[in-house]
Order: sequence, then structure tokens, then C-alpha cells
Amino acid sequence: MHAPTVLRNARLLSGLVLMAFVTSHLGNLLIGIHSLAALETWRATLMGPWKSGAGLALLLGSACVHVALGLYAISARRSLAMSRTDVVQLGLGLLTPPLLLNHVVATYIAGEVTPDFDATYGMMLAVYWSFAPGYAFQQLFVVVIVWIHGALGLYAWLVLKPVWRRIGGLVLPVLFAIPILALVGFAESGKEVLEKLANDASWKTHITDNLERIVKVTTRLETFQTVVLAVYGGLLLLGIGVFAARMLRNRWESVRVSYDGGACAQGRRGLSVLEFSRLNDIPHAHVCSARGRCGTCRVHVDSGAQALSPPNAIERRTLARVQAGEGDRLACQARVLGPGVCVTRLLPAHADASAARVPQEWMAVDPAPAGEPAP
Amino acid sequence: MTLLPRAACVVALLLAMTASAFAASGDHGLAQWSIGALTQAKARIETLAGDLAQAPAELRRLNGQTRASLMSGTGVRGFTYLLIMLLAGSAAEWLYWTYAYAPLRAIQSASVQSPRQALRVGLRRLLLAGSGLMLFTVATIGASAAFSWPPGVQELVVAATLLVLVLRLAWVVVAIVLAPGRPPLRLVPVAPERARWLAALAMTVVCLLALGRFVPDLIERISGARHAAGAFRFIAATAAALLLLVVSFMFFGRAVRGAGAARMPRFPRSFLLALLVAAVYGIWLLATAAATIAAIAAVVVALQIGLRDMVFFFWQSDAASATGPKDKTEPEFDPVLPSIVLSAARFMVVLLGLGACAIALDTPAAELAMSESPMARLGLRVLGVATLALLTHAVWITVRTAIDQRLSRIEPGDAHEGPNASARLLTLLPLLRVTASVFLVVMLVLSSLWALGIEITPLLAGAGVVGLALGFGAQALVRDVIAGIFFLAEDAFRIGEYIESGTSTKGTVERITLRTVALRHHNGPLHFVPYGALGTVRNNSRDWVIEKFNLPLPIDVDSEKIRKLIKKVGEDMMADPEVGPLMLQPLKGKLQSIDPGVKIFRCKFQTAPGKQFDVRAQALKRIEDALKAMGVGFAQGR
Repeated sequence: MHAPTVLRNARLLSGLVLMAFVTSHLGNLLIGIHSLAALETWRATLMGPWKSGAGLALLLGSACVHVALGLYAISARRSLAMSRTDVVQLGLGLLTPPLLLNHVVATYIAGEVTPDFDATYGMMLAVYWSFAPGYAFQQLFVVVIVWIHGALGLYAWLVLKPVWRRIGGLVLPVLFAIPILALVGFAESGKEVLEKLANDASWKTHITDNLERIVKVTTRLETFQTVVLAVYGGLLLLGIGVFAARMLRNRWESVRVSYDGGACAQGRRGLSVLEFSRLNDIPHAHVCSARGRCGTCRVHVDSGAQALSPPNAIERRTLARVQAGEGDRLACQARVLGPGVCVTRLLPAHADASAARVPQEWMAVDPAPAGEPAP
Repeated sequence: MTLLPRAACVVALLLAMTASAFAASGDHGLAQWSIGALTQAKARIETLAGDLAQAPAELRRLNGQTRASLMSGTGVRGFTYLLIMLLAGSAAEWLYWTYAYAPLRAIQSASVQSPRQALRVGLRRLLLAGSGLMLFTVATIGASAAFSWPPGVQELVVAATLLVLVLRLAWVVVAIVLAPGRPPLRLVPVAPERARWLAALAMTVVCLLALGRFVPDLIERISGARHAAGAFRFIAATAAALLLLVVSFMFFGRAVRGAGAARMPRFPRSFLLALLVAAVYGIWLLATAAATIAAIAAVVVALQIGLRDMVFFFWQSDAASATGPKDKTEPEFDPVLPSIVLSAARFMVVLLGLGACAIALDTPAAELAMSESPMARLGLRVLGVATLALLTHAVWITVRTAIDQRLSRIEPGDAHEGPNASARLLTLLPLLRVTASVFLVVMLVLSSLWALGIEITPLLAGAGVVGLALGFGAQALVRDVIAGIFFLAEDAFRIGEYIESGTSTKGTVERITLRTVALRHHNGPLHFVPYGALGTVRNNSRDWVIEKFNLPLPIDVDSEKIRKLIKKVGEDMMADPEVGPLMLQPLKGKLQSIDPGVKIFRCKFQTAPGKQFDVRAQALKRIEDALKAMGVGFAQGR
């Protein structure tokens, strides 16, 4: 397998692992709608596997891989031509590590440092609802951010699969029900915790004792957090720097790409055909936002094929899947390296995910997407 | 006629606005009123200064308060609920867009040829985006109803939701009207490179105004920090006004160059807009209550200034193609439709402005309509007159355009070709135009009087009596006019036709008026015949005529030979390039009677109307020649 395919699959797999973890965590929280006791009972079942050696390794590995690949993806960008969902997903993804870090530290690492510390739901909820509500805001934010980031990714991946027709109607509501119900569970169990704090003195002492233990190691934990954040920030800056360098490197080398219907786009040498379209407001279908999965951006190269980058493994596979003809390329993968490129968009700009699921249905579409008059 | 309803419209609107202004000012004298206003303004400025001075301290207190109330179980609960609400709203909208996104993209990527198409596309985009927004709203508010909110939090959350809604709505409108990034879809004449900037600035202004509207109220209601709220309002309003000034100078400074140097210098729009902004801001500074009205008035004025360009923008491509040399066959650009739309739009803008004022003043419209205040009544009535004038104007323009277009289509080429179908239209259409204009003016005057509350029944009755008297006197006149209408409607004669009336007046129709027809006798005299006296009309110029003449020949000629000879002459005439086209049926002749010493042959032929005399002369000449060649002379008289 080639490098781009490996990277893409690694990103997808690590994302799926993280999504599974978040789902089980939120699912556990959702049980709080019933009672705090049930929440604690189910914790062993739902969260236990992630605390075991293998689970922990998988989780941490996935997190590191996913963050690293995300930063790599920034550095590998060539332009700012992104779809709106991409921008949202990128922004939310970048926000996640700094916001989530103290929660991770408090629940996973504090337990390692102080042996008696017990990060139960009751404990954390008491902190959030009574002792340090500031953290609650942060964590509520993170729930929404992480979930939207994950849901966007999962949706973008699943919607291209033929199976989406059958499971789509089920997956979408579930994708939204989980965070909503988890937040409801958080609110309900929060009420219970507040009540318990007020009425159950022994439980309160237990919580305060626990808290005191963690307060003792706060400085160590904070140092750790600072280090992690510094590393993350450094990597992020590096990624952005590489991206900026790429942007600036050949900014003066301008080439033109002409389209069917007389449209013409101007841009830097080295951008993909799709980026040319997006930067010049030329309607061009792209369901998967330039990941090379959907094949809706494919174009027929009328001339100047030698001025395009050769097709990579991802592109070849997708082209084969959508039964593309001779001389067809994926606009998101084919980079323009020289002048004289002339392409015909093969799918209308409004092509949606069904064009990726069942390419045959869209084969018959007249290849004149932009020339269509308004009905 | 064009000017009249328009002027009436303008005057009526001005009157309505003045009337409402006076109604608002109440019974006080002008001097007293202005002194009161000045005192108010002074007090207001002092308050503002006090607000600004005390705001920092209050804000510090407010900050502490908010922090304390947020950093508690209550705050966390409120925030959780807010997130749940927004998630539910987003979920509903996401679900919606999974279906609606492809249609939206299809609409947006369709090629749009003209601004009018763009308007249609814009309306569809508005529908799609608006439905999504509505779903979001319903889901959000529905979710909020499901929780038992901690006290005091709900107001905050509702304000936050409203803010989100207002901003999103503003963005939908801005995105559709200005269409940044999609020049063909733009609905207003703005240069492509400026659209993005204008959109951004417009959104900033809306944002500032919305924040200035919601946040201070909240501050005041929750914590009672009056000064902080006042200062917040002041800052938001000032920033918005400054931005609007920037906008008016940046984007309306240079008008689109039209006729170039030949254009007359105009008062610069940018300065006018800036003045408006400054005026509204000044009024806001001095008297907050009047600022809403002033702002509405300013928006109305600004729209009126720009409305012409905005409306004509939609017909711009037509104008361009009409002036282009290639589209000669297309009907030429006709500014009538846009001008109707323009006057309707002007009226609508004012009407909407008045409506907005009524809402801003909390005046229940129904009550206003029932109220006894003479000013309010007058205002409403004047508004009614304006509506009537506008309607009349529109109807008149439509009728006139229809008639003029029809006229201009038949005139070229046909005018000098004698009687044909268009002659009747040439007669009838101008008549119709005058009649319509008279009718419309009379209707407008009568219904305006009625709308103004002036009793027109006596007028009508008086007109009835006078009409009766006149009617007896003008019986003949009326008969003539009505008979004339029927003559024309039944197409009895047209200009250029030769007719004979029942009173044996005959001649070519030269002119048709409302009462008479002018007939030119072939000897020269011009008869003016009233339609009523026309009686049976004998029209000699229709379809065909049959001409007959007798040919007396000596008794000893061979009848069959003569018949053949005449037929031969007829065939020759039909083949003749000059005479042939005039003839519908060839000349024929046969023996009709045998008198003592004479055989009389009867000849006949059919020609186009009016050509029979020429053709007969030709026929006689040819027959004479043929007879001479045959050696037959005519019968000798005794």
C-alpha cells in the first residue's frame, strides 16, 4: 500500500476508535438520566475496557495518531480552499486537545499519581456542579465540540457507502440523540449530586477527602499539562508554518485551467484542479471535500494531461470504483503542474452523496453541468 | 396624464406623513413643543454622560455578580440546557439539509442569465434557507420548553437564542441579496469585488445593532445596572453609526458611470446617506423614543433614493440587448414595466415604513382605523387616495403601452397602402386611448373624493340631472357616437374605402372621428356625415366587383365567333402583366339579345374593388382592336 492510503486509513481508524470511546463515555453519562447509582454501576462495563492495558494503549495510540495526522494534514494543505464543514471540523478538532486535557489529566493521570484517588462519576460531577463549576463549562463545550467533530467525520465517511441507504435513517438521529441525552443525563445526575452533597454528610466527606488528595498533586499535574500543551502548540505552529511556506513558495507561478462551458480559472501552480474551481467560484461537485473518496469531482481531461500530476493509489482505486472512463481524473487529486490544462466536469455541481454510492445512476447525466439553465 | 397620478401619489404620501407627524406632536403649539424637546434632549445628554461615567464601576460589579451566579449549579444547569437546545436545533437543521443541500447547490450552480432570473433563484434560496432556519427555531424553542429552568436563566437563554436567530436571519438575507462570491446571483447593483466587503460590513452593523438591542435590556433586567446598559447602548449605536458612515462613503461614493461626461452633476448620494445616518444618530442621542421612527424614515428615504437603480437593475440586460445592434428583431427595450414596478415599489416602501412606524409606536392598526382623531382619519384617507392614484397610474400605463405597441406594430409599411385591416385599428385605437384616459381620470377624481370622505352622491345626482337635460339636447350626438362605435366595431368601412351612404352621399372615407365620417366625393367635395345619418352603407371597396357592359354589333355577325373572340381577349388580359393581376375572373361575353339590326353582347368580368374602370377601358380597347382585325365593325346607330 502507498503512503497516502496508509495515512488516510490510519486517520479513519484512529478516529473510529476515538469515536467509539466517546460514544461509550457519553452512553455511560446518558444512564445518569436514571440515577447516579446506575451511572456508577455501568461505568465498569462501559468505561472499564478503556482502562485496561490494551484498551488504554489503543485509546492513547489512537489519540496521538489522530492528532498527529490532523496536524500533518494542515501542513500538507496547499490552499485555503475548504468546504464549510471542513473549516468547522478543522477548527473544532484543533480546539479539542487543549480543552480536553485537564479532564484527561484529572481522570486518568491523577489516579496514577495519587494511588487512593478515585475518579468516580460522583466525584467528577461534584467537582463540576459544586466545587469548580468553571471546569463544567469547559467540559460541556468539549462534549459538543468533540461530538460534532466526530459526527461530521463519521457522516462524511459513511454517507458515501452504499450501506448508508439502509442505515442512514437510523444513524443520523442516533448521532444527535447521543450528545443530547448525555447532556440531559449530566444535568439530571448533577441535580442528584447536589442533593446528595447537601443531605449526605459522609458522602460529602468522602468527596472532599478525595479532592484534597488531588489538590496536593496539582502542581505536578499542571506542569504535565503545560508540557503537553506546549508540545501541541509547537507542533501546531510547525504545521501552520509548513502550510504557509507551501502557500508562499510558488505564489507567483500562476497558471490557467479552462473548463467546459467557457469558464476559466487562474491559480498557483501545484494546486489541484478542484482547488482551482473553488478558489475561482466555479461550480464543481465535491462531496467528500477532496479526500479522494467520493469521485464526484471527476473530470475528463480534454488536453494538457501531461501537465497534471500522475494519479496516486487513492485516485486509481476511486476511479476504478466509479467506473471512470479513459482520460478521467479526480479533480481533487490531480494537481496542475503546468499550463494548457483543459477539463470537462463530468457531474453536475449539485451531485450529492448518492453519486458516490451508486455511480451508475449518475453516469447518464449530461456532462454539461454549468450550462444547465435554471428550470 | 402620466404625471397626474404620480404627482397625486407623491402629494398624498407627503400629506400622509405630515399628518401623522402632527398627530404625533399632539395639541401643543410648535414653540412649546420645541422647548419641551430641547429640555428633554438636555436631560438625555446628561444621562448619557452619567451612564458613561458610572459604567466601569457597574460593569465590575456586574462581572462579579455574573461570575458568582454562573459558577454554581444553577449556571451549569442553564448552560447545559442551552447546549441541549442548540444541539436539538442543529440536529433538526442538519437532518433538513441532508435533503435540501443538493437542491440548494443545484439552484446556486445553475447558470443565471439575467437579474430577473437571479431574483427567482434568490426567492428559491430564501425559501430553502428560510425553512432550515425556521426548523432550527422551532426545534430550539421546542426543546427549551421541555426544561424547568432555574430562575433568571431563561431570560438569558431566550435572549441568546433570539440573538442567534436575528444574526442568522440577517445572514440569510445578506447572502441572498448580495450573494458574495456568486456575482450572477446578486440582486442589487454592486460591483463583485465590493460585495464581500459590503456583506461583512452589513453583518457587523446588524450584529452591533442586535447586541445593542438585546444585551442592555438583559443587563438592566437581571442586575439592574442601568448605567452599564446605557453605556453599552451608546457604544453599540455609535459604532454602528460610524460603520454606516464608512459604508455610505465607501460604497455609494461613486455612482455607476452611465452616460459619462454628458451626465449632469448630481447631489452625491454618499453625502446624502451620511447625512441621514448622522441625523438618525443625532435624534437617537437626543431622544431615544423618536429614534426608531427616524431610523425607519431614513431607511425609507434611502430606499427611495436607490430604488430606481435597484428596480431598473432587473431590466438592465434587456436595455443592453436593445441598444446592441444584433437584436433588431427583438421587441425593443420598453421602460414601462419597470416604471410601473418602480412606482409600486416606492409606494410599498412607504407603506411598509408606515406599518413599521405603527408597530414601533405600538399603535394597533385596527384601533387607528376606528379612531376619531381627524388627523389619523385624514392620513388614512390620503393613503387611500395614494393607493388609488397608484392603481390608476398602473392601469393607464398598461393600457397606453398596449395600445401604443399595437399601433407601432401596424404603422410601418402599411400606412400608405390603402384600405386594409389595420386601418380600422388605426381608427379605433387612438379613440380608445382618449376614452380610457378620460374614463380613468374621471374615476380617479370621483373615487379620490369619495375616499377623502367628500360626499359625491349630490355630485353624481347633480351630474345625473344635468346629464338628463344634456341627454335630451344631445340625443342626436349620442346616437351618432354610439352608431359610430358600432360601425367601426362591425368593420363597415375603413379609411380609404369608397362608400355610399343611405342618403346617397358617396365618396372615399378620409377621416373617422367620434361623431362623423368625412367622405371625399370623387369630384372633390368633402362630406361630413354623422354616423346617425349614415343609414345603409354601401361599401364599394370590399373583396371584388363585377363590371358588365353591352357590346352592340351588326346583326349579321357570327355569335359563336364573337363569343370566342371576347373569351380570347379575356385570356390575353389575364396573361397581361399589367391588367392581369387586377382581374379576379376573366372577361367573358355572350349574346344577350337580338334587336332589330343589332345583336347585343353582354360582357362581364370580376376585378379588385376600384379597378373596374381601368380594366373596362382596357377591355373595350382590346375588343375594338380584335374586331377591327376580324373586319367587324360596331352596329350603326340610326
